[in-house]
Amino acid sequence: MKKVTVQDQGLVEKTKCHAAAIGVAMKESVYPLTATVQYPRQRKKMPDNFRGYILFDPDKCINCWECAFICPANAIRMKEAPNKKYYPTIDYGKCIFCHFCIDSCTDSALRTTKIHDVAYKDMDEMVTLTEEMIEPPEIVREDTKLVEYQIDDKDLQITKTREVDNLFVDEVPPSVEIPVVSQCIDGASCIGCHVCEYVCGSGAISSSIANGVMNMAIDTDNCTGCGLCVKECTMQILKLVRK
Amino acid sequence: MHDADIKACEEVIKMATEAAESKWEIKVPDKPLKDKLYFENLKSVVIDTEICSRCLTCAAVCPGGIIVVGDKVDFPDYETKCLDCGACVRVCPRFVYEPLSGMGSSTAFIAGRSKRFAGQDGAMVTELIVSAMEMGIIDRGLFAGRNENWETEMFHVRDPEQLAITTLSGTKYTFADVLPELKKAVKFTKNGVGVVGTPCIVSGVRKLQQEYPIFREKVKLVVGLFCTENFHYSAISQYLRDKGVDFSKLVKTDITMGKFIATMTDSEVKFKVKALEEILPSGCNVCCDFTAVEADVSVGSVGSVPGYSTISVREAIAVKILDYIKEQGYAEFGEGDPGQLGFLVGHKKKRAENLKK
Repeated sequence: MKKVTVQDQGLVEKTKCHAAAIGVAMKESVYPLTATVQYPRQRKKMPDNFRGYILFDPDKCINCWECAFICPANAIRMKEAPNKKYYPTIDYGKCIFCHFCIDSCTDSALRTTKIHDVAYKDMDEMVTLTEEMIEPPEIVREDTKLVEYQIDDKDLQITKTREVDNLFVDEVPPSVEIPVVSQCIDGASCIGCHVCEYVCGSGAISSSIANGVMNMAIDTDNCTGCGLCVKECTMQILKLVRK
Repeated sequence: MHDADIKACEEVIKMATEAAESKWEIKVPDKPLKDKLYFENLKSVVIDTEICSRCLTCAAVCPGGIIVVGDKVDFPDYETKCLDCGACVRVCPRFVYEPLSGMGSSTAFIAGRSKRFAGQDGAMVTELIVSAMEMGIIDRGLFAGRNENWETEMFHVRDPEQLAITTLSGTKYTFADVLPELKKAVKFTKNGVGVVGTPCIVSGVRKLQQEYPIFREKVKLVVGLFCTENFHYSAISQYLRDKGVDFSKLVKTDITMGKFIATMTDSEVKFKVKALEEILPSGCNVCCDFTAVEADVSVGSVGSVPGYSTISVREAIAVKILDYIKEQGYAEFGEGDPGQLGFLVGHKKKRAENLKK
């Protein structure tokens, strides 16, 4: 049988270890390290586009309903505004904060904020009308410190700053994609129903009748490439093509 | 590179290379009634004169999808909702009606019986569509099934295994909404669609193909059915109920030797087909087409021994499919007798007189 003995570290080494332990204890008693956030006095720093309360800009909305179609929780309902356009309303009782609506919004009329805590008195109040989405909600802020977690290769580092975070995210410009325009790929199959003309928010599609022939035209300079006409075309003959 | 990435790249390349135009022209159809909406024209020429066959080509093509599908074709509030595009007038087979009759350009009459599928004449139709699917000519077929009340329902069949649904087999003698479904099928198909229908539906498909290239490209196989007449669901269901047919027990309906036979689990109801004349739809009363003249291939029971179906072959595509069926041994074949068809073809031809009235 082999006997295991503790290796003697020597007096100097032992003293060092004890001193380090006492040092940590002293530090903790003066400036205690807590991993938790003292909400609401402190606020955790989140990445800029961490999904939060959704804001809406009616001037940019092209009425494509994409947000309502894509919403997996069916939280978005379109309501008719006095100007005969349909704008989204969000039921936060249903919203799962996937932000598919923001990702799908063709003209970035919807955007996120850093507000992750809004309280409601009852369920009905959670249905946020379009008017309430234009301006950020009034929230009472009690936080005075911003807590940031950083993990480096050694340890979890927590920094607490005295600054107060701005809750509104700067507008993120839409990602630069390949510019596309709507074009007709099979003019002979066109019914001539004008649905594309009706739905086009930028007025790029025009039609005129002369001598029993209807002329349809897409103005490629005005076309924003939103794809609304492509989606609505009943004969599926419109397509987004590279500009 | 990931498969999805390659696909995305291909899509972008396709987008860049595909011929597209920013200007195009549409021929605007003529209006017999000037200053009236197109649907009003259709209403006065076809629907109000009671020659509408309820093929629903208009409902299929209507961009708003506002033409209502009921026993009759109707369009409530057309005055305010109609987009006045004229598509319904362009595709209506009876807007400018020249009744078709006879056998069409039939090159051969074959009697056939499917070994794979059981049932009435539908078995041979199913065999044709499924074989075309196996050959890769089409990737979906449109079939008319039924619900427990014997109302017709359309099924998109993309795999032969789907045909295990028993409600797909059996003749229904009721109008089916084939063409509105065909438009949906055309939207989703990659290779092509196969469609089955009565002569009026076949005429509707041909008219769609004539007017719009997208249908010419996507509808690859049109199988016609021999048809003397078809009935509105509300009329025939009421008639059969009055005769004592219990729909929950009904197994099969059939017309043989001039008699309508409704077979139930425990009994049978028989009466002469002539008695059904009182509920004959007005559109069928002016139809002279028995063999679906315009179809690629037509199928029906008349003209062959019991158990077999007569196949009237017209187009090359049908010959190709039948050769494939022979090769694979999916069906038994015999000689067809077009002589027997003569009586019914002649019988339907007489209806042209009704049109003059």
